[in-house]
Amino acid sequence: MNIRAISKITIGIIIVVIIIIAAITALLIPPSPPTTTTTPTQTTTTTTPAVKVKLTVIGPWAGDEEKYFRQVINEYMKLRPDVEITYVIQRAEDIASTLPAYLKAGKTPADVIFSAWGWFIVDMAKSGYLVDLTPYINQTDYVNGIFNPVKYDNKIWGAPFTMWLKPGFWYRKSFFQKYNLTEPKTWDDFLNLLNKIKGIPGIKKPIVTGDSVGWPIGDIVEHFLITFGGPDLQYKLISGSVKFNDTIVKSIFENRLIPLLKNGDFSEPIEWTTAKDLWWNNEYALYFMGTWITGMVNDPNDLSFFTLPGDKGVVGGTDYIFVPKYSENVNEAIKFVQFLATKGQVIHASTPAGKIPTWTKASADAIWSPMKTVYNKIVGAGMAILPDLDDSIGGDWQKLSWDQFKLLWVNPDKLNDVLNILTAQHPAIKGA
Amino acid sequence: MSNNMRKNIIFFIPTFSFVALFVIYPIVYTFILSFESENAYTLNNYFKVLSESNPLYMLIVKNIALSPPWGALLHNIVWVLIHAPVTIILSLVISYMIKYYYIKGSSLIKALLFLGMVIPPVIGGLIIRFMFDENIGIIPKIMRLLSLDVILRIPELSKTWMNYPSLALFSLILGSIWLWLGFCITIISAGIETIPQSHIEVAKVFGASSFKILFKVIVPELKTVILTVFVLTILWDLKLFDIVYASTGGGPGGSSTVLALIMYQYFIYASRYGGYGRSAAVAVILTIITLIPASIYIYRSLKRS
Repeated sequence: MNIRAISKITIGIIIVVIIIIAAITALLIPPSPPTTTTTPTQTTTTTTPAVKVKLTVIGPWAGDEEKYFRQVINEYMKLRPDVEITYVIQRAEDIASTLPAYLKAGKTPADVIFSAWGWFIVDMAKSGYLVDLTPYINQTDYVNGIFNPVKYDNKIWGAPFTMWLKPGFWYRKSFFQKYNLTEPKTWDDFLNLLNKIKGIPGIKKPIVTGDSVGWPIGDIVEHFLITFGGPDLQYKLISGSVKFNDTIVKSIFENRLIPLLKNGDFSEPIEWTTAKDLWWNNEYALYFMGTWITGMVNDPNDLSFFTLPGDKGVVGGTDYIFVPKYSENVNEAIKFVQFLATKGQVIHASTPAGKIPTWTKASADAIWSPMKTVYNKIVGAGMAILPDLDDSIGGDWQKLSWDQFKLLWVNPDKLNDVLNILTAQHPAIKGA
Repeated sequence: MSNNMRKNIIFFIPTFSFVALFVIYPIVYTFILSFESENAYTLNNYFKVLSESNPLYMLIVKNIALSPPWGALLHNIVWVLIHAPVTIILSLVISYMIKYYYIKGSSLIKALLFLGMVIPPVIGGLIIRFMFDENIGIIPKIMRLLSLDVILRIPELSKTWMNYPSLALFSLILGSIWLWLGFCITIISAGIETIPQSHIEVAKVFGASSFKILFKVIVPELKTVILTVFVLTILWDLKLFDIVYASTGGGPGGSSTVLALIMYQYFIYASRYGGYGRSAAVAVILTIITLIPASIYIYRSLKRS
C-alpha cells in the first residue's frame, strides 16, 4: 500500500476522532458557573462607562399593560442614561417551561425576570440559579406577608413589584343604572340579580367566564371558596390540611357554584380579553377579573365591582422580580431591581395599570385615581388580602387545577371526579 | 485494502461520525436514560408513566368511556385512524379533480390548501382554535346554519369545540387534516402527472365513470405514492406536539393529550426537579410505535430498490 495514502487516511481518522472527542466533551462537561459575586459589600462604580450597559428584562405585560410598564423602564433610563433596557414579553407559564433549561446550561435569557409564581422562584433558588436579594431589599418597607412565597433558607429570592387584587364581579355603572340594578347584599340578592339580568334583552348570560390557560376560572372558584369557607380555608387548602374532597369544600361547590353553572348563569369559557370586550359591549353584565381590568376598559369611571355577599377576603398578589446569577450584569440588574421595587412601583401605580404599590413608603396620592377607589372599597370593607391558591401550590397541580375547573365549567356533573383528582394530585398528599 | 475501499472509508467516516454524534448517541442515551431511576437501572419509569393517574400525564385511562379522555396513547391511535385515511382520500379526490376537471381558480384552491403546510404548526394550532370557536369560528357557525347541533342532538357542535372533552380531540384531528392536506395533495398530484394520459383515455373509451377511473386506474397506479404518503402521514400524526400545545394544552380534563406533549411535560418537570427518565421512557414508547410504520416504509423502499 502506498505510504502516502495510508498517512492521508490516518490523518483523516485522527481529525475525525479529535472532532468526536471535542464534541462529546463539550456535551458531557457541564458549564462552570460564572464567578460573579453578589455580596452587599460590592463597590459601586462612579465613573460613566463609555459603552452603555445593556439589560434585558422579561415580563408578562403586553398591549396596554406593556405600555404602562414601559413608562417605568423609560423613567429608569432617564435616571441612568448609561443603561439601555430591552423588554421581552413572556408569560409566567412560558418562563417556567423554558428558563430551567437555560439556567441548567449556565445561561440566562434575561438579566431581570418577572414572575407571579413564587413557587417557581423558590424552585430556581433551591437549584442555586438565583441571586440572593436579601441584602438589597428592606423587607420592613413592604406590605406584610408579601415575601412569604419567595422566601427560602431565610433569604428572599424575589423582590415584589406592584400588587393586583382579584376583588369580585366587575360591572358597568351605566348598565346597572339603565336597568335599575343594585349590588347584592345577600346571597338571595345575588341570585335575584342574576335572574333580573337574564331577563334583559341582548344579554347572553349574566356572567362572562374568562379563559386563557385556565386561571380566570380558578380565580372565580377561589372567590367562592373564600366567601363561603372563610379566609382561613384558602390557607388550609394551600397547605393541604383541608382537602378538596372534604365536606366543607364539596358543599360550597354543590350548594353555591354548581347550581349557577347548571342554571346557565355563567357563559362557557371565552378567551379573557375577548370576554372583556363582549362584557364591555353589554352582551354580558358581570365579569370576574383582577384589578388590571381597570386599565383595559375605555372608561374606568364607568366601572365598579362587588364581592360575593359575606366575603371577608380577596386574593392579591404581585409580580416578583428576580435576577439569575448567570446575568452578565448582575450589579446593574440588582440596581434596576431596587428601583423597580421602590420608585418604579410608584410610577407603575400612577399609570392605568390597575395596580397598587406593595412598597409602604409609596405615597397613596400617586395611585391612579380609579384604582384608589377600588383599593379604598376593599380596605373599607375590612377584607383580608390572601395569597393566590394555585400560584401558592404551584407546580403541576396549578396547571391541573386550571384544566379541571375548565372541565367543571362545561360539565358540572363531573364535580366528584374533579375534586378527587385535585385532592389526589395535591403535592401535600401526593408527596411530590 | 483496495483503492475503492479506502475512498469509501474516507467518505464514510466524517458522515458516520456526525450521525453517530447527533443521532445514534442521543437515541442510545435516551434509551439508557429511560431505565435510570433513583441511581439504578429498572423498569420503574415505564411502570410510572403507564400507571400515572394525573389526567394531563395519563397514557391510558383505567376506565375507558365512549368519549375522551382515553389517555395520550389512545388519542394518538385515534388520531392516526381518522386523520390518515381521511387525508389520503381527500387528497386523492382533490388531486384528481384538479387534474381532470376544469375548475375555475383551481390554482388558487391548490395554493390555499398548501397554505396549511407552510404555516408554522404553532400558528396552525392557534388557527384551529379560532376555527372551532363559538364567537369567531367558521365550524360552529356552519353547524348552527345547518342545524346539525339539533339534528345530531349534540348542542356542543355549535359552541367552542375545544371547551368540551367530547369534541376537543376531534376538533384538533379535523384541523390537522387541513394542515397536512396540502402536502398530500402536492405529492399525489405529482404522482398523477406521471400516469400516462392514454390509460385514462382507454378507460373513458370503455365507458368507465369518473369514480371507476379514480379507484380502478389511478389508485392502483399510484399505489407506491399512496403508501409513501400514508406512512409519512402516520409518522406526522405520531410526532404531533405543536398544534396541541398551542390550542388546548392537552385539556380539558386531559381529553386531547398526545404522547409528544406528555414527553415534553415530563421533560419540563425534570428540568425543574431532575429525573429525565420518565420523559425518556415516553420517548422510547413513542419511538417504538413510530418504528412500526417506518419499518414498513423502509422495507417497501428496499424491496422496490
